[in-house]
Amino acid sequence: MSFLGLGATPAGPSGPVNQQAMQMALAELDLITDVFNKVVSSCHAKCINLRYAEPDLNKGESVCIDRCVAKFFDVNKKVGERLQQAGAASQAA
Amino acid sequence: MSPPPGLFPPLFPEGREPLPPDWTDEERQNYATNQKVSKYFGFAMESCVTKTVMAGVVGTGVGAAFSLMGATFSYEAAYGTHTQQTTKAWFRDQGQKMWRTGRSFGKVGALYSGTECVIESYRAKNDIYNPIAAGFLSGAILARNSGPTAALGGGVAFAIFSAGIELFLHRETHED
Repeated sequence: MSFLGLGATPAGPSGPVNQQAMQMALAELDLITDVFNKVVSSCHAKCINLRYAEPDLNKGESVCIDRCVAKFFDVNKKVGERLQQAGAASQAA
Repeated sequence: MSPPPGLFPPLFPEGREPLPPDWTDEERQNYATNQKVSKYFGFAMESCVTKTVMAGVVGTGVGAAFSLMGATFSYEAAYGTHTQQTTKAWFRDQGQKMWRTGRSFGKVGALYSGTECVIESYRAKNDIYNPIAAGFLSGAILARNSGPTAALGGGVAFAIFSAGIELFLHRETHED
């Protein structure tokens, strides 16, 4: 896939491939996919009743999913900050 | 068409999804506008206000139909001479009756639907306790002028009724 903007036609590669940028892009891709899969599986386990009465999400389930995703990212951010602090403290010490 | 947005992780920023490459700029704008409009429309359709209004409208219709059906059972209209004036007067009277029963049915429906939607949005769960609580509150509010015991009894009765209807609607059907 190529990250082209709206209305752009596919152009050829511009210069040699930067290996480090490629590695970083691959790592970021893996990270996003991993976070997405975790969010989907944990919010599905918490919010969606196992007995399917209808194919659409009803009101309670969609509210639950909104809250679940928001809380997931909030927890993610806070834990990341704490880890960063702990890492900085152990490096300083 | 482009791949459905939910089936793979959100790898692309907002305007840079891999739409078919032979689309013109205007088509891409249309696609973005269509996505946004359908998202807002879905949000509006699922909101509590829409549910309350629709329950009120449908309740009014059901009440009017109910009153019209009850007119077939009333026999005081069958006697006397029927002129154009008496027929018009009957129609006007019947219309007022239909409006009155429709209005009360609509009030009950809108109150119950709104309460249930608000409770379900607050709890973020979809189980049998939402109709029970909403029925209890609706029954109590509808019977508020007849004293506390009557309000309690009305709430309990409406809660049992609405729980019964919900259990019937979500019963295990024999899918073949």
